[in-house]
Amino acid sequence: MTSTDQQPFLSIKDLKVHFSTEDGTVKAVDGLSFDLVRGKTLGIVGESGSGKSVTNLTILGLHNPDSTTVEGSITLDGEELNGASERKLEKLRGNKMSMIFQDALTSLSPYHTIGKQIGETYRKHTGCSKKAARDRAIEMLKRVGIPQPEVRVDDYPHQFSGGMRQRAMIAMALVCDPELLIADEPTTALDVTVQAQIMDLLKDLQKEFGTAIIFITHDLGVIADIADDVLVMYGGRCVERGTKKEVLRDPQHPYTWGLLSSMPSLDHPVDVPLNPIPGSPPSLLNPPSGCRFHPRCTFAEKVEGGLCSSERPLLELVDGRGSACHLTAEQRGEYFSDLAGSAAN
Amino acid sequence: MLRFLVRRLLGAVITLLIISAVTFMLFYAVPRDPARIACGKLCTPETLELIRHNMGISDPMPVQFWHWLSGIFLGREYPGFGNCDAPCLGYSFVNREPVLATILDRFPTTFSLFLGSAVVFLIFGIGTGMLAALKQGKPLDKIASSASLVASSMQIYFVGTLALYLLVYQWQVLDQPGYTPFTENPGQWFGGLLLPWLILALIFTANYTRMTRSQMVEQLQEDYVRTARAKGLSRPNVFFRFAWRGAMGPIVTIFGVDVGVLLGGGMITEKTFSIQGIGMLSLKSVVNNDLPMLLGVMVITATFVVLANIVVDACYALIDPRIRLA
Amino acid sequence: MSFSRRNFLIATGVVAASSSVLSACSSGDSTNNTGGGKQDAAKADATVVKIGTAEDSKGPAPEVSGAKKGGTVYLLNDDDFSHLDPQRIYYAWNSLAAMVLSRTLTGYKIADDGSQTLVGDLATDTGTMKDGGKTWSFTLKDGIKWEDGSDVTVDDVRHGIERCFANFITEGAFYVQTWLTGSAEYRKSYPGPYGGKHLKSIETSGKTITFRLSEARPDFNYVMAMHSYAPTPVKKDTKQDYDKKPVSNGPYRVKTHVTDKSMTLVRNEHWDPATDPIRNAYPDQFDFTFGIEQLTAIDRLLADAGKDQYATSWRTIPQERIQKAQSEAKDRVFAQLGNGVSCYWINTGRVKDKSVREAIIKAWPTAAIRQLQGGSVRGDYATGIMSPLVAGYESQDVWGKLKNPAGDPKAAKEILKKAGKSGYKVVYAYQNDPTQAKIKVVVENALKAAGFEVVTKGIDSTTWYDQVGKLDNQFDVYWGGWSSDWPTGYSVFQPLFDSKNVVDQGQNYSHLKDPAVDAAIKAATAETDQDKANKMWAALDKQVTETAAFVPDVYMKRIYMHGSKLGNVKMDPNFDGSMLYKMYVKS
Repeated sequence: MTSTDQQPFLSIKDLKVHFSTEDGTVKAVDGLSFDLVRGKTLGIVGESGSGKSVTNLTILGLHNPDSTTVEGSITLDGEELNGASERKLEKLRGNKMSMIFQDALTSLSPYHTIGKQIGETYRKHTGCSKKAARDRAIEMLKRVGIPQPEVRVDDYPHQFSGGMRQRAMIAMALVCDPELLIADEPTTALDVTVQAQIMDLLKDLQKEFGTAIIFITHDLGVIADIADDVLVMYGGRCVERGTKKEVLRDPQHPYTWGLLSSMPSLDHPVDVPLNPIPGSPPSLLNPPSGCRFHPRCTFAEKVEGGLCSSERPLLELVDGRGSACHLTAEQRGEYFSDLAGSAAN
Repeated sequence: MLRFLVRRLLGAVITLLIISAVTFMLFYAVPRDPARIACGKLCTPETLELIRHNMGISDPMPVQFWHWLSGIFLGREYPGFGNCDAPCLGYSFVNREPVLATILDRFPTTFSLFLGSAVVFLIFGIGTGMLAALKQGKPLDKIASSASLVASSMQIYFVGTLALYLLVYQWQVLDQPGYTPFTENPGQWFGGLLLPWLILALIFTANYTRMTRSQMVEQLQEDYVRTARAKGLSRPNVFFRFAWRGAMGPIVTIFGVDVGVLLGGGMITEKTFSIQGIGMLSLKSVVNNDLPMLLGVMVITATFVVLANIVVDACYALIDPRIRLA
Repeated sequence: MSFSRRNFLIATGVVAASSSVLSACSSGDSTNNTGGGKQDAAKADATVVKIGTAEDSKGPAPEVSGAKKGGTVYLLNDDDFSHLDPQRIYYAWNSLAAMVLSRTLTGYKIADDGSQTLVGDLATDTGTMKDGGKTWSFTLKDGIKWEDGSDVTVDDVRHGIERCFANFITEGAFYVQTWLTGSAEYRKSYPGPYGGKHLKSIETSGKTITFRLSEARPDFNYVMAMHSYAPTPVKKDTKQDYDKKPVSNGPYRVKTHVTDKSMTLVRNEHWDPATDPIRNAYPDQFDFTFGIEQLTAIDRLLADAGKDQYATSWRTIPQERIQKAQSEAKDRVFAQLGNGVSCYWINTGRVKDKSVREAIIKAWPTAAIRQLQGGSVRGDYATGIMSPLVAGYESQDVWGKLKNPAGDPKAAKEILKKAGKSGYKVVYAYQNDPTQAKIKVVVENALKAAGFEVVTKGIDSTTWYDQVGKLDNQFDVYWGGWSSDWPTGYSVFQPLFDSKNVVDQGQNYSHLKDPAVDAAIKAATAETDQDKANKMWAALDKQVTETAAFVPDVYMKRIYMHGSKLGNVKMDPNFDGSMLYKMYVKS
């Protein structure tokens, strides 16, 4: 990490989240570690099913306790969250840590007014009066740029436009000035203008409150816009980490290469036509042996002794930078420049 | 809301008009002559014509329908039978009474039957369903689910008769089912209806358990429920205020239908327990070829169904603000 | 006494469930169905009604040994009475209640052994006949009062009969109206008493009322026992509303009555037992609950718990409970011969050849049919159409049905062959219910075995009698039943076999037009010597049987049960139900 001198605000260590289903155990997250300091934004990228959303739901303790086993440690501001009581988690959720969900239409309750939904979070954590909660809701709506907040506060989500809903969602997540904000693809469903507005909003808020943000997306363009650090997930594991610059400009993992080349981008160093990664995401019920990416990796045969399919590559971090791949540093340099070169032509 | 009510009530009146007209037409088509039935064994054409005249059935059908319709507002007289004051829903030539009087006499019975069983099946059905949803996949859920499957495949005439035999005749732990007006003796009212309530509720409970469970399970997986949890709201809070709110809609709908049906009389239940309610009345009317009574019961029943529908729709709007009443 | 309710109900489809009445009296008793010779009918002579004297007509009724006064009897019934207004009463069912509410000029005094005597009930005796039966006088007893304490007068008696002409009285019998006016369209001759006019053919003087009939009616005193001709108080006549709450002159009065739901009868304090030779009236109260299923009622009586110990039902024990009832509660079950006779009519208008009709009768599988309807509990094999309860009954066996109730297809085939009618097509109509459908198969097989070609037509139970009652019905054989209105032969043979009744919806279901039968009916009707008349009717039973216009089936039996705390619960042979006025509550 760039700020190694700072005490990490959120620290995930060797997190394993396994679901037991009728077909067997789904290893949704399988040994994930990262740290996050206040005021910074960590972007987590990866395909659907890579474990990024599960990780964040687990941080909030929103997994189903009956069918999920969580191993490893999650510490927030020095407090262990894994195995913490429901009561303790309830106090933290929406307060010290909160989450913005992907689809505001479905994530907001259709049965309650916007004001009520924002206000009740505030009331829950401050114990204030209904009036105060309502005032706070209006204030928050104003802050996220909803016009006529004192009127719209009594509206229901279906009466809002998509962008306004997302803003309301953000207002709800921020109502208690959270120190950790997890944003799960908050802009995916929105058009570009609204997307930009919301990103600006988040940045402004971060500046104001020094909030630590985890930003989950599969859109590297968004990462480029907002993140300080980037974590690439694949098959429940972290395959690459580093600063935004390091990961985007000098990616070390063939999966990241694939992501980059499948991404339409304006300020991307590798200006490639859309080039999706062949194959489909790994089954988490029966994950591939060794490197989980190897069945889809075009470079797997470059590694001698079939290591990719037999041994799990370790994520070795130097100053918070590193990737989990059996390719040697030279090979990576060579193949990536080839890739970048050919793509540029 | 007012517009909605006015519009829907108007619609209801038209619906009821159509229902009664169609029913009237169907009855007219039935090759059954109530006059012939009333006339007896040693019937002469003269007597038959007299009865026809008294019954007002010698007119053509549209005229009869008009008389019936205007009778609702103006009342009618049936010479040789008696007066039928407004609102007159017709006159039963079998009971020799205005139809409405009989229906009103039977209604408290059916209403009591409905009320008690609704309380039982709503509490147990929804409660069990919620519990099952909460303990999804656990033994409790499995027990509740299979029990409700068994219960829902039961038939009232079978369970009812069995329960009657064992609990009332054999072990004598329950009172002989019957209806005593609440105002007369609340204890007897309760004792006499307890078994019918439980048996009727048994079948319905299962329905509501499965409905509630599946709705709650579905709702608990909704994004907004997760959001509510992410806001730090407690599990019970989320469960009742969010998930249950969402699950209520379909349950209210089903309940609305059930209210209409039950107020129309639980025919099998009433017959099984020999309770003289609307259900028994309509059954008897069929058996006795008492078409005026049957028409009256059908109109009243249809009214309940239609009204229940309006109430359900209004409730729906209260539950879900996305639905607008117009 | 009126036509049994069940027959009419089946006839007109008033009660669809009534089709089960037939099967209701059946049981699984299969062991006792072949001994055709030993018939109750043989000893039925004891039950035939005798005409009593003035002495017999004096009250009070002989005490029932062991009986005591007091208590409440509960009646578990499926249906309410269709009428309580005596003038509207025609069915036996209603008469069961009317027996304790509406006394008539004459009535039947029933002894412990079941023997019946026609006595004066309101009248001092069974009336005085003059002019060969065209003039009848009755004198009222002293001390007979309405429930309000006022006297029952001859004016009230006359009013009751005159009410029968009113336009709202359409259900009762109309024999007397016809005889008093000499016209079947009697309403044209007299519009009823509400215009202020009286019938000229009735004269009153003091306590005596005299009827002048247009034709000789030597059995008029029997007819006066029908509730249709009970008195109605002139001052308390509420016309059509009278039906809900009639004024009683019997031992009980209506306290409350909710149609088709409940009724309570309590003591009529103005009834004087000293005037009543017929009724004992032991219980203080009768509580009727209507709407109780036949099966439920019997299950409750079998369980015999709580109030149900004091209960009885007027519904027969359903087939599926007969065995249980007979084994578990033998002393609470009572079965008796009713006055209904079951038969299968042969449409003589279509099947004109008597040999063919004979072949049908010979082939008829009577035993198998009775078996399907429950065996011996259904009733004893009938040999004619006259019930053993009708005055003058004599046993006969024209068709050898007692010797061979199973039927003899071989003999039938022989008859058919001789007549040159082998392969004759018979159209058999039956009510479309489970029992009748089974019977259809048995009948079909038997007739086929006899060399008939058989066509079967199922008819909806509710339209059954409308269909077969049509003059031009397209059927050859169909079921029928009959209960006489009063226990003399006239009430059997005139409606069923008088050629005048071969009309649309007429009662002559066999469409028999036989001048000899017509003449015999006329002769027996006019015979003023009752003993002679009875003999003539008995001869007619044989005569009509010989015309082969019907296949005799059974003399129908009824089987009932009651709670353990009731005593002397006995069946009224005239109305096919238990007698309220003879039962008592045990302590």
